[in-house]
Amino acid sequence: MDARRLKDSFAQVAAQGDAVALFFYADLFVRHPHLRDMFPIGMTGQRDKLLRALGHIVAQVEDLPRLVPFLQQLGRDHRKFGTLAEHYPHVGASLLATLRHFSGTAWTDELAADWNAAYTLVAKVMVEAADEDALARPAWWNGQVVAVERRRFDIAVLRVQPDRPLPYLAGQSVALEVPSRLRSWRYYSMANAPRADHTVDFHVRLVDGGPVSPVLVRGTQTGDHVRMGAPVGTLTLDESSGRDVLLVAGSTGLAPLKAILEQLARRPAPPRVHLFFGARDRDGLYDLEDLTKIASGCPWLTVVPAVSEESAGHGFSTLLQSGGTEIEYGNLPDVVARRGPWSGHDAYVCGPGAMVEQTAGRLALLGVERERIRLETFADALR
Amino acid sequence: MNSPNLPVVSEGSRLTPGELQSVVFPRAALGRRGYDEEQVRTFLQYVERELVQILNDKASLAEEVTRLRSEAAGSQPGVMAPEDAHFQAVRILSQAQQTADLYVADAERYTRELAHEARLHREAILSDAKGRAEQLLEAAHRRASEVAEAAVRTAGQPVPAASGAHAAPVAPDERRRMEQEIAYLRTYSDVYRTHLRSYLEALLRNVDEWESSERASLPRGAPEPPPRG
Repeated sequence: MDARRLKDSFAQVAAQGDAVALFFYADLFVRHPHLRDMFPIGMTGQRDKLLRALGHIVAQVEDLPRLVPFLQQLGRDHRKFGTLAEHYPHVGASLLATLRHFSGTAWTDELAADWNAAYTLVAKVMVEAADEDALARPAWWNGQVVAVERRRFDIAVLRVQPDRPLPYLAGQSVALEVPSRLRSWRYYSMANAPRADHTVDFHVRLVDGGPVSPVLVRGTQTGDHVRMGAPVGTLTLDESSGRDVLLVAGSTGLAPLKAILEQLARRPAPPRVHLFFGARDRDGLYDLEDLTKIASGCPWLTVVPAVSEESAGHGFSTLLQSGGTEIEYGNLPDVVARRGPWSGHDAYVCGPGAMVEQTAGRLALLGVERERIRLETFADALR
Repeated sequence: MNSPNLPVVSEGSRLTPGELQSVVFPRAALGRRGYDEEQVRTFLQYVERELVQILNDKASLAEEVTRLRSEAAGSQPGVMAPEDAHFQAVRILSQAQQTADLYVADAERYTRELAHEARLHREAILSDAKGRAEQLLEAAHRRASEVAEAAVRTAGQPVPAASGAHAAPVAPDERRRMEQEIAYLRTYSDVYRTHLRSYLEALLRNVDEWESSERASLPRGAPEPPPRG
C-alpha cells in the first residue's frame, strides 16, 4: 500500500467536492436499494460527514496508532444505525466505483489495489470493534419519556427511562433519535449522575430549523419513545483528583456539569465547588431554581448565575429578581475571571463553542493548567 | 449403384463438415481410373454455392454488429449496455436526492426565518410589558407619596394618648413617620394591585385569543395542541 499515492488520489477526487459523495450514495443505493432506509431523507449533512471521515482516515493512513482507535469508535458508533458486517463489502465496492469514476485517466490497477487494501483494513478494524462491542452492550437502548418540563418556550427538561440499564460516566452524552425524525441522531448529555432506577435527564434547547430539538422541546409528551446510542464523551469527572472544582456552563451546556456536580456530591467529603451558570438573559437561566435549592443544602457549593445581555436593571426588573441569588452581569469568561483566583482548580467547561473557547483561553491566562481544563470534545461532526 | 451419395440439402440449410466427410463418389467408367469427373464437378459447384452463401451471410452479420455497436455507443434509444444503465440510474438518483435536499434546506430556512421573527416579536412584547410595569410602579409610588404626605398634614396635631396604657410609648415623631409609611404602603399596594389586575386580565385575554386563533389555523384532523399547564 503506497500512502503517498493514496493521499494524492484522494486529494484529486475530493477536490470535486459534494459530487463525489453524491455519486457514492447513489451508486450504493442503486446496487442495494434496501440500504437507503438506513439514512435520513436529507443527505446534505451525511455527505459532509462521509467526506470528512474519509479525509480524516486518508490523512492518518500512516499513523495507525491514532487511526485505529478512531476507526474502532467509528465501528462501534455505526451499530446504532443498524450497520452489519455484511454491509461493508457493498460500501467498499461503491467506494471503489466512485474513486474510479472521479479519477478518470489517473485510475490504474495499482491504485485500485491500494484503495482496495486500505478499505479492507478499515472495514476489518471497524467490524472487529463493532463485534467486540456487541458482546458487552446493545446496539441501542429504547427509552420512554417519563416526564417533560418545559422551562421556557425553547428549553425543555426530559426524563427518560431506558428499557435496560444504561451505564455511563457523569458528563457523558448519548445520541438520541425520535420516531418522527428517523435516522437523525443528535447528541445530548445526561444531566444527572447515574441513578438506581436508571432514569436519565436531558436538557434540550430548541435549535431553529433543526430536525430533532424542535420535536423534543415542543412535540414530546410523557409516554413517547426515543432511541439512544451508547454513551460517549470525555467531559467526565477526574475521580483521582482531590482539587477544588470550577464548573462553567453556558445555557444547556449545564447538563453534563450538573451530572458532574451530583457525582461530586456523592463523595464523603466533596471539594469546594463553584458552578457558574450563564445565559443571555435572566429567563435563560432555566435551571437556576433547582441549582439554588441544591446549593442551599451543600455548604461546599457556590452557584453563580450570570447574564450577558441585560444590565442590572431597576424598578420592575429588580422586583422580578426576587430569587435571593445574586446575579452577575457580563460575559461568562469575564464573570468567572472576576471571581477568581482559580489556579488550584480542576475546571470543566461546556456550552456554545465560542463561550467554551473564550472561557478555556481565559482560564489558561489566569494560571489554570491546560490539562486541568476539560471541555466538551466529542467529535459529533464525524459520526 | 452409379449415382454418387451426395448430401440432400434443402433450400436455406447449410452444408455441414459432417456431410462433406460422408460424400462417396462412384468409380469411373470401365477403362478409366479415379472418380467420375462429372460427379466431382457437380459437387464442387455445389460447394462453391454454399461458400458464397456463407460469405454473404457473414458480411451482413458483420454489418449488423457494427450498426448495433454504434447504436449502443450513441445515446439513441434502444438496447443499452448494463454499465450505461447503471450510470443512468446513478445520475437519476443523484438528481432526485439533490431535489430532496433542496426541499429540506428550503423548509429549514423557512422555519429558521419564522422562528427568528417570532423571537423578535416575543422580545418586543416582553420589553413593552416591562416598560408598562415600570410605569405602573412609578405611578403607584407617586400616588402613594402624595397620600402619605396628605396623611401627615391631617395628622399634624399631637394625637391624644387614647391608645391605652398597655401600648408601648412611641415618640410623636416616630409615630408620625410610621403613619406616613403605613399610608404610603397601603396606597402603593392598592394602586399597584389595581393596575396589575387589569394588566393581567388583558394578558389573559391575549392568551385566549392566541389559543383560539392557533386552533383555527390548524388543518382538520391535526392533533389537538397539548393542554395548557
